[in-house]
Amino acid sequence: MRGLPTVLITVSPEVSRQMRPPRAMYPKGFKIGNSLGKPGMKDLQKRVLRDALVQLTEPARPGEIVEREYPEY
Amino acid sequence: MTQISRKCVLFTPLDRELAKCTVALVTAAGVHRKDQEPFNIADELGDLSFRVIEGDAATSDLMVTHHHYDHTDADRDINVVFPLDILRELKAEGFIGDVAREHAGYMGYTMRLKQMYEETAPAIAEQIDRKSRADVIVLTGG
Repeated sequence: MRGLPTVLITVSPEVSRQMRPPRAMYPKGFKIGNSLGKPGMKDLQKRVLRDALVQLTEPARPGEIVEREYPEY
Repeated sequence: MTQISRKCVLFTPLDRELAKCTVALVTAAGVHRKDQEPFNIADELGDLSFRVIEGDAATSDLMVTHHHYDHTDADRDINVVFPLDILRELKAEGFIGDVAREHAGYMGYTMRLKQMYEETAPAIAEQIDRKSRADVIVLTGG
């Protein structure tokens, strides 16, 4: 099997950190069940997903979790 | 698991731009199609199976079976844990190349962590690798 690049969107950073994911993003303050934001907030959901995908192209710090803030949440 | 992850972080670099990437979603949030067998929430040990969700599935045909997080919001808008509609929009905008043919949902609660790690996870990876034609995977939890 070839390797596939992954990025994790986590709302439980302290749990996820134990597994040391290769790339991960924590939308700060998002509740469990709201990985991409709240229902119907399409623009916010899109920003979060876009930011997570961009992690795949940036210089990575494997095992670390990048925090992002979304005041509109 | 912790021992393995302490040794090294498995890391696959991305070899192309996002606009040329096919993206698959893999979620631990208990997402599946309404006509698929729900995850077994009666078993205290959890459910180690996963469901394949086709890339052209209507999000209104998806649901959540998971009893270890509050999925009220996901019941209203599945995109909060499984952003398939958003992925389609990113494709339409040219931000990504394509939406994968297959995605996967499983219930990220189990007392059988070893089997989840050694059996379920590789089975999902193999399924995605063989069938989805994905270049990258976005993982979400509950």
